Amino acid sequence: MPLEYYKELLLPNLERDEYRVTSPESDRYNCIAWAAGDDTDWWWPSPQHYWPEGVSIEETIASFQAMFEQLGYQECATDELETGFEKVAIFAKDDLPTHAARQLPNGNWTSKLGVWQDIEHQSLNALAGNASIYGEVALILRRSRTDNPD
Amino acid sequence: MQQQTKPNTPANLETRFRALADQWRRETGMLSSVSQMAAHPAYQEIIGMGTAAIPLLLRELQERGGQWYMALYALSGENPVPPQYAGRIPKMSEYWLEWGRQQGYLS
Repeated sequence: MPLEYYKELLLPNLERDEYRVTSPESDRYNCIAWAAGDDTDWWWPSPQHYWPEGVSIEETIASFQAMFEQLGYQECATDELETGFEKVAIFAKDDLPTHAARQLPNGNWTSKLGVWQDIEHQSLNALAGNASIYGEVALILRRSRTDNPD
Repeated sequence: MQQQTKPNTPANLETRFRALADQWRRETGMLSSVSQMAAHPAYQEIIGMGTAAIPLLLRELQERGGQWYMALYALSGENPVPPQYAGRIPKMSEYWLEWGRQQGYLS
């Protein structure tokens, strides 16, 4: 099932990618939470939202990297599927983090789109690029799937 | 011809608020960043309405949800949500609505 047409218009690269909607809309969690494996909280470095203790409340790529490192991820070079590893991608525009996606065991990616639905998409380019509100992929991190039971 | 501005009656304020809230929802639905959401011109115009927007924000939160917490904080200077519920959206709304009732903004 595709997204509603007006949503596709706002994410113009999506129509060039194979993607499917995998959840109903929800305003309870966002892409960062979803990438971190949580569907109950809105994660953002803000005093009013959830951000893990011990990570600086700053809207920087470094702060997002530190947050994922706390979950066992380490920076890596490529978004290619690697056996035994789970990856996350952090997107940024003008150096400000905007979005995160998590790689699925089949090599596709899962993204929660703000308060819209979750989607499974084939490539990170589906949501990245000059015309994208999310900007470009700024960082890829990975962790061992064996360290993470889910 | 000189453009006439509408008088700032409660009815006009509410009509303008609804239009801005709808615009904000349409144009920020895909965002995760609460600072990007709050920086949207429609959101900023709502904050610019001042404390008169607080009851409208609370009713909007009650009826349709949404990340209105930054606006409520900006306008009231308060944050009634206990730290352990930061990011837990249903709880955040619950505490803000209770705050609104206590302050007399909601019946």
